[in-house]
Amino acid sequence: MKDVSSLIAGTHSRRQFMLGAGAVFTGITLGCPALAQSKELSIISNIGNAAQRDVLQRIASEYQKASGVTVTINNMDHEAHKTAIRSYLVVGAPDLCFWFSGNRMKAFVKRDLFDDISDLFERENYKSVLGPSAGAVTVDGKQYGLPLGGLLWGMFYRKDVFAEKGWSPPATLDELLALGEKAKSAGMVPVSIGTKEMWPAAGWFDHMNLRINGLDKHMALMDGKMSYTDPAMIPVFDKWAELVNAGLFGQNHTSFGWEQAAAALAQKKAAMMDLAGFVKYGFPQDQVDQIGFAPFPEITPGLARYEDFALNSIHVPKNAKNKENARDFLAYFYKPENLSAFLEAESAVPPRNDCPPSKDSLVNAAVESLKSVEGSAQYYDRDTDPDMAQEGLKGFQEFMVKPDRRDQILERLEGTRKRIFKA
Amino acid sequence: MYPRPISEDSSLRRAGYAGMVALVLILWLVPLMAVMATSLRSFEEVMAGNYWGWPKSINFVENYTAVFTQTAMARYFLNSLIITLPSVLGVLVLSTLTGYVLSRYRFRGANLMFALFVGGNFLPAQIMMIPVRDLMVSIGLYDTFYALIVFHIAFQTGFATLFMRNFIAALPDELFQAARAEGASPGQTLVHVVLPLIRPALAALAILTFTFVWNDYFWAIVLTQSDAVKPVTAGLSNLRGEWVSAWNLVAAATIMVAIPPVVMFFLMQRHFIAGLTVGAVKG
Amino acid sequence: MSGFWRSHRAWMAPTLFILPGALLFGIVIIMASIQTIWVSFFDWDGVGAMQWVGLANYAQLFDDPQFYVSLRNNLIWLGLFMLAPPLGLALALLLNQPIRGMRVMKSLFFVPLVLASVTVGVVFTWVYDPSFGLLSLLFGYFGATAPALLSDEHFVTFAVVVAALWPQVAFCLVLFLAGLNNLSEDLIGAGRVDGARGWPMLWHVVLPQLREVSFIALAVTVIGALRSFDMVAVMTSGGPFGSSTVLAYQMYEQSIFSYRFGYGAAIATVLFVIMAAFIAWYLRTLLKPERESA
Repeated sequence: MKDVSSLIAGTHSRRQFMLGAGAVFTGITLGCPALAQSKELSIISNIGNAAQRDVLQRIASEYQKASGVTVTINNMDHEAHKTAIRSYLVVGAPDLCFWFSGNRMKAFVKRDLFDDISDLFERENYKSVLGPSAGAVTVDGKQYGLPLGGLLWGMFYRKDVFAEKGWSPPATLDELLALGEKAKSAGMVPVSIGTKEMWPAAGWFDHMNLRINGLDKHMALMDGKMSYTDPAMIPVFDKWAELVNAGLFGQNHTSFGWEQAAAALAQKKAAMMDLAGFVKYGFPQDQVDQIGFAPFPEITPGLARYEDFALNSIHVPKNAKNKENARDFLAYFYKPENLSAFLEAESAVPPRNDCPPSKDSLVNAAVESLKSVEGSAQYYDRDTDPDMAQEGLKGFQEFMVKPDRRDQILERLEGTRKRIFKA
Repeated sequence: MYPRPISEDSSLRRAGYAGMVALVLILWLVPLMAVMATSLRSFEEVMAGNYWGWPKSINFVENYTAVFTQTAMARYFLNSLIITLPSVLGVLVLSTLTGYVLSRYRFRGANLMFALFVGGNFLPAQIMMIPVRDLMVSIGLYDTFYALIVFHIAFQTGFATLFMRNFIAALPDELFQAARAEGASPGQTLVHVVLPLIRPALAALAILTFTFVWNDYFWAIVLTQSDAVKPVTAGLSNLRGEWVSAWNLVAAATIMVAIPPVVMFFLMQRHFIAGLTVGAVKG
Repeated sequence: MSGFWRSHRAWMAPTLFILPGALLFGIVIIMASIQTIWVSFFDWDGVGAMQWVGLANYAQLFDDPQFYVSLRNNLIWLGLFMLAPPLGLALALLLNQPIRGMRVMKSLFFVPLVLASVTVGVVFTWVYDPSFGLLSLLFGYFGATAPALLSDEHFVTFAVVVAALWPQVAFCLVLFLAGLNNLSEDLIGAGRVDGARGWPMLWHVVLPQLREVSFIALAVTVIGALRSFDMVAVMTSGGPFGSSTVLAYQMYEQSIFSYRFGYGAAIATVLFVIMAAFIAWYLRTLLKPERESA
C-alpha cells in the first residue's frame, strides 16, 4: 500500500482515493455522515416554483425560531427527484419529502418506505377539515402523508375571443364538435394540445372515460382489474376517433410541449385547451384574467360528474431519523394560514376547507367547480401502475395521430396490463 | 506544423483566413446564439414562442441574478470545483500510469485488461446506478464529495486509459530503447521521457475529463442528496419545475455553467504547442 | 530492501503503476457491471425483493417490437455519428493556424461540448418547432411550410442525431487538435521536401500519424452513438409513440419510469454484447500493426 500511495502522493486525489480504496480493502464501514441529532430536521423538496420555495423557506425559518429545531431544506428538480427518491428512501432518508398522493404514494407504502402518520391525523383532527382529499393519502384505513395542492383539470378558453365570436363553452360532445367547426372556419385550431411529453393525451383519455364509463369503471381499469379490450372501451375510442377525424386537435401536436400549445391559445390561434390552472403561465400577465374555465363536456347524459383532481403530498419516510420533529413540523406547516400561503404561490387548490379564499380567480373557479364533482381520479399516470402508465401514455399519443391503429394499440396495452397485474 | 502556417508576411491573407474562420464559427454557433438570446428574454416572451427573434426586452441583470437568488448557485459552483479538480487530477495520474504500462509492457492478460478498460466505457450509466450506490453506502461515502470523486475517477479512468495508452503507444520505440540503454528505471522513463512528450495529450485529456465531470448530473442525483454537496448542474436543473420551466433562466445558468470549462480549454491550449515534438527531443 | 527492489523492479514497477487504476476501475465499474448482468435474470423494481426469472427478461425483450425499433435507430445513430470524426478533423485543420485570436476561436468552437445537454436538446427542438422554429421561419421566408420533423416517425431520429452531432463534432475537434500537435516535424518536413502538399500530404503523411487519435475518436463516437439517451429524452421522450427510442433510452425508460430494473439490465446486457463485438474488432485492428511492428 505504501508504494501505491507514494505514487500518487502530492495530488489532491490521494486522500480521496485512499479513503475509498482503503475502505474497500479492509471492509470498514464508516457509517453515514452524522445527521442523527434530535434537534434537526431535513427536508427534500422537489419544488420548481421559486416563489413557493421561498414560502417554504420562510415557514421553515419561523418554525426553527419557534422550536429551536434546525431545518435543512434540500431542493431537487422535479424530474430528477423521481429518480432520487427511490434511492434515498432506501439508503439515507430525509425526515420529510414531497411526493404524490394516490397510487404513486401507494407504491412506496406497499414497500414499507413511508411512515404511517395516522396518529398525526388523529391528533390534529385533519379528517374533519380535509374531506375527500384525505382518501388520496389513505391506504387500508391508515394515512401515509398530507395532501397538498390540487389541480383540477378541464377546458380553458379566452373569454374575450368567446365573447367576440358569440361562442359559449360546449356542454356536450355535439356542442364541442359544432364549436370545432366554427373555430376552423374562423381559422383557428379548435382544441390546442401538445403531446410531445405524452401525458396530455392521457388526460384526454381520462376525461372521455370518466364521462362515458364513470369513476368506478375508470378506477377498475387503472387498478388493472378491467381489460383494455373490454366492450366498455369501444365507445370511448369511437368518440375519441370521431374527434380526431373531425380535425379537432390540429396537426403535429406531437412536436409541441404544453407550453407551445398554451401559447397558441393565448395568441388566439386556438379556441380551447384541456389542462389545469397552470395554463396561466402560457399567458402574458396582463391577459391572465381573460382565461375562462369550463368542465369537460358531458357525454353520457345524466352521468354524475367525475374529474381528474391531482393532489401532491408530503410524507415522512420510514427510514427518517427524526420522525417526531417531522410530525411537529407538519402540524405547523399544515396550519391553514401557512398552507394557503404555500399553495397560493403555485395557484393550487387547497385540500383543507378552512383555508382563506384565494386571490387567484382560476383557483376560485376550480374550488367552485369542485362543489359539483361527485368523485375524482388523479390523472392517468398517477392512478395506474407506473409501468402501465408508460405504455398507456405512448399508446394514447399514437392513437391521437393514427386512430386507425386502435386495435393494435389496445392489444398492446392489454398485453402490458396482463404482464403487470398478472391478470 | 500541419497545415502549413500561413505566411507571416502576408497580413492580408492572414486577415482573410481569420475572417473565413469567423464566418464558419458564426454558423457553428447559431444554436449558442439562440441560448444567449434566450438568456436575455423575459419568461413571457419564451412562453409566447419567440425563440429566434431579437429579444423584445433585455433582462440581462434580472435573469442572471435570478439564477443566483433562486438557487444556491454560488455554493454549487464551489461544490463543483471541489468535485471536479481532484477528479481530473486523479484521472490524469491513474490513466498516465495505466496507459504507460499497457502501451509499453507486454504481459499475459494485458490485452484483456485493456479490453476491460475500454469496455467499461460503453456501459450505460443508469444500469450501474444501484450497484454503485450500494457500494458507496457500504463504504460510508454516500452523500459526500468523496462518493462523486471516487466514482468519477473510476469511471473516467476507462476512457482516459484508452486515450493515454494510444498517445504513449504513438511515441517512437527508439526513445524507450535509448532510455533503457542509459539504465533509466521505469519511473524515470515515465517522468523524464514520456511526460514531457504527452503534454498536449494530458492537456486535452484534462479538458475532456473536466468537461465530463463538470457536466455530470445523473451521478449527483444518485450518490448525493444534500445541497451542501451538489454540483452546478443541480442548480441548473432546479430552475425547471413540475409543469413550468423558466427556460430564460435555464439558458442564463447554462451560459454561466459553461464558462469554467471553456476558460479551462482556453488556458490549456498553451500546452497544445508543436514545439515539444518527438523530433525536437531527438534532435 | 533496495537490492530486492533493484532486481525485481522490471516487473514490479509496472505492476505498481497499473494497480491503483486497475483496482479502482475493477471495484467500482467492473463489479457494478457484473452485478448488472446478474440483475438481468431477476424481476426487480429497484427497491423491493428480487425474484429469479431466469431468461424470461430476454425472452420478453426479443419479443418486444420496441426493441427492434430501438435497434434500428441505434444503427441510424451509428451511421450518422460516423460523420463526427471527419468533421472534427476538418475543423481542427481549419483552426490549427498560429494566427492572433485563433485561441479564442478554438475555445468558442469547443463550446457545444460544454453546454448542458438539456439546453442543447431544447434549443434544437426550437429549431424544429413547426410554429415558431428556425426551420419554419426559414421555410416561411420562401413561402413554404417546414416539415414537422419531430412528429414524423421516419425522420425524427435523423433530426435528433443532428442535434447530438453538434457536441460530438466538438469532442472530436479537441482530440484532433491534440493529435495535430503530436505530429512529427521531421516527417512533415520530409514530405514537404518530396513536394507533397494538400490531399496527398494529408493522406500519406499526416493521417498515418493521426492513427491513434483517430482510433480514440472512433471509439468515443461509437460510445456516443450507442450510449446517449439524454438528447432523446429531452427532444422527443422517445416519441412520437416510441419511434425515436434507442436502446439506452429504452433501458432508461424501463428502469427509471417503469421500475423494471431486471428488464432494463437485460437491455443493457444486450447493448453490451453488441458493443463487445465492436470492442473485439476494435482492439484487434488497433493492436495488430503494433504487434507486427514489435
